[in-house]
Amino acid sequence: MVKIEYLTPASPEERKRYYREEWDIKQVPEYITHSIQEREFGFDHVGRGPNDRYKVFRTPDLLKRFLKVRTPFAAYCSVAFYDKPRRRDRWTKAELVFDVDAKDIPIRTCECEGVCEICLNEAREIVCGIIDTLNDNLGLNNIHVVYSGRGYHIRVLDNDVMGVNSDVRSQIVKYLVGAEVPENEYSLDYEKVSYEHFVIPFGYPNVFTERVKYSILHLNEHIELDGVNKKLLNDVLKNKHLIDDDNWGLFKNKLGPLRYKKVVNGIASLNMSLVDAKVSIDLKRILRLPSSLHSLVSMKCTEVKNIETFDPFKEAVPKFVYERKE
Amino acid sequence: MNIMVSAAFINPLSDEGEIIVRELGDFERVLSDNDDLMQIVTESRSQELSDDSLIPHNYVDLAIKRIEWYAKKKNDRNFDHKQYDFLFNTEIVKFDVIAFYLLCQAVGVKYGPNSRESRVMVESQGKLIENRLGKLSKNERGEIVTNILNSLISTTHLKWTFFEDLISTKKLKLHDLILDKGEIILDREDFLERFSNKIQGRKPEKMYEALIGDRIKELVMIKMVMQNTENYILKVGEISEREIEPNPILLKLADKISEVLAASVQSYGFGSGYGGSVKASVLNPKAFPPCVKKVMEGMKSGGRNDAIIMFLTPFISYARLYPSVFSENVTKQISDVDPTLLIVQNEVLPLIFGAAERCSPPLFEDQPQDKVNLNAKLGFGMHQNPELKNEGETTWYTPMSCEKVKIHLPSLCKPDENCKKIGNPLSYYNRMIWKVKKESKAESAAEQKDDKR
Repeated sequence: MVKIEYLTPASPEERKRYYREEWDIKQVPEYITHSIQEREFGFDHVGRGPNDRYKVFRTPDLLKRFLKVRTPFAAYCSVAFYDKPRRRDRWTKAELVFDVDAKDIPIRTCECEGVCEICLNEAREIVCGIIDTLNDNLGLNNIHVVYSGRGYHIRVLDNDVMGVNSDVRSQIVKYLVGAEVPENEYSLDYEKVSYEHFVIPFGYPNVFTERVKYSILHLNEHIELDGVNKKLLNDVLKNKHLIDDDNWGLFKNKLGPLRYKKVVNGIASLNMSLVDAKVSIDLKRILRLPSSLHSLVSMKCTEVKNIETFDPFKEAVPKFVYERKE
Repeated sequence: MNIMVSAAFINPLSDEGEIIVRELGDFERVLSDNDDLMQIVTESRSQELSDDSLIPHNYVDLAIKRIEWYAKKKNDRNFDHKQYDFLFNTEIVKFDVIAFYLLCQAVGVKYGPNSRESRVMVESQGKLIENRLGKLSKNERGEIVTNILNSLISTTHLKWTFFEDLISTKKLKLHDLILDKGEIILDREDFLERFSNKIQGRKPEKMYEALIGDRIKELVMIKMVMQNTENYILKVGEISEREIEPNPILLKLADKISEVLAASVQSYGFGSGYGGSVKASVLNPKAFPPCVKKVMEGMKSGGRNDAIIMFLTPFISYARLYPSVFSENVTKQISDVDPTLLIVQNEVLPLIFGAAERCSPPLFEDQPQDKVNLNAKLGFGMHQNPELKNEGETTWYTPMSCEKVKIHLPSLCKPDENCKKIGNPLSYYNRMIWKVKKESKAESAAEQKDDKR
């Protein structure tokens, strides 16, 4: 098994081999090649960030020629569509994107410094949850997933959301990650009724339950949760099997209502880091071009066909890495 | 179905409301004493009549009373609802609608859609609807809400993106709505059909009433009317830009609205949310919000640049030089408040550099070019040091809102009790500075007392 931390950055020679022998323009997804004239491209030639920006290609062939000749350290493409992409002028719409970076997810069961199989798999699980919510709750379609090299990009090209502004995008992010604790007390005519999020099997309360469940099942004794002391964290860990069985009522009773509230508040605040929200609200962001090489870790930025079964170590390792190992 | 209350009483922008406006006739009438209006006011059930100034004599008076009601209700501890009971008399509708349009036009013409006057107008309309609904019987309330919603929403399958504006302006929060397959669920039968078989151990009907019922329908309706009010003010503002002379009656009313808001703030003190002048003074770190305190202690590598440049620099500079930026709503340059830049040099920059120094690794040692970015956020362009000759090349960035902090620097937001009612770290500081002063006065008084003993 190839371990990502053992992969050294790609040398200029390896980059050349990748783009000239292995890479094919057909690997660039159609949702990019079909709108190539409306997008801005950016390149990093030396490994210091994408300084070569405002590039435009009239046809996929021209992009192909550029990549084969220049063999960049990294290649990017805008999520935004413009009438005049060369000047990033007359913005028309932008994909709704979510960046789940394995090294930045707030609860990781591994203790690696960068990324490893374990946290990459955890990032994949988070992505699956987000896609379910995008479909089931927000009713969005045309969703694509790209393995970025260190995590995943979710790219939504549903016209219903491509025109929305940053404020709406920020609310979408909060909804998807479960960043707000749902109300648990509701007023009826002459009484107040209490419904904890876990007894409501639909809507945002259900999304929140799913996210809290994920977090609790991945908690360990090293995680710091706002407002949760060591003793409470230990009690959560001791009783987390109840959550695995969806026995929420008992779990809450074991902790006590006030301590339970502290736990869900702490998790809600942590959830905001499940995705890099800055990326989602940026209407002019450039993202790594699917099919390009992530030269820092020698991995291919790969369009994911089936996120349930995707394994980056099988599908995103360039040939030169295997040959290098040999 | 017999609707007792006119939809225009709740939604002046409804068709009924438009008919009332068309029937007004000569615009100059808005200043004439109107016996019918005065009669409705004096006959309102609990109306206080002890003073003639409590009774609006014409449409313009009524418009002012409308805003005054909101400002006083929000800020005045001694607010007496009996002075404004006529606003809840359903018979006032035809006068109320005209007053509403007068207010929107006055605000739109004089201050535009992004002014605090516009914000107050929109908020006051929302509050007025809430309070008016609260005085109706359950049946009347349900009927009128459904009636207005039906006129505002023409489809039964309502996509959440239909409320893009409301979500964007945070009038509605996505997580307050029950969504399924992209649709907002408001209808009872629809709810039961979709979710009954999923709900366990609870009555689905009761769950519908609690989670959606009249509550969410009312919320959606009120916010839609508020949004339409905002859009109307925007439209008025755009039209007025093309016109040469705005109507003097509207301009006078606009001045009066501003006076009412200013008087409310002066009489009832700071903390109203839309007013209050906090004077610039030496910074007191004790009053900093938790997020600022955290950055002042120094940040680790991740998020270090944003925390110092994007977050701390605007906060410290505004807190020291122009703390009332949000209430005054006037764009300034630093030299407007610190003409020699001495305060910037001696008080603002040392604090920011200190925090940058405490980062790990120290920010400017590691990335000296970020000093240029810091300078740019103060409005002095992409240069190494702040100099008057470069001022205006960039904008003096206002402090990030709590909302933005949560997005850009989620690890910073560790709210305390005082964070609950504020939306910007600068508002926190402005509130706390007052509290801290009061506490230290009390302490020194106690010390003096001890000394005397």
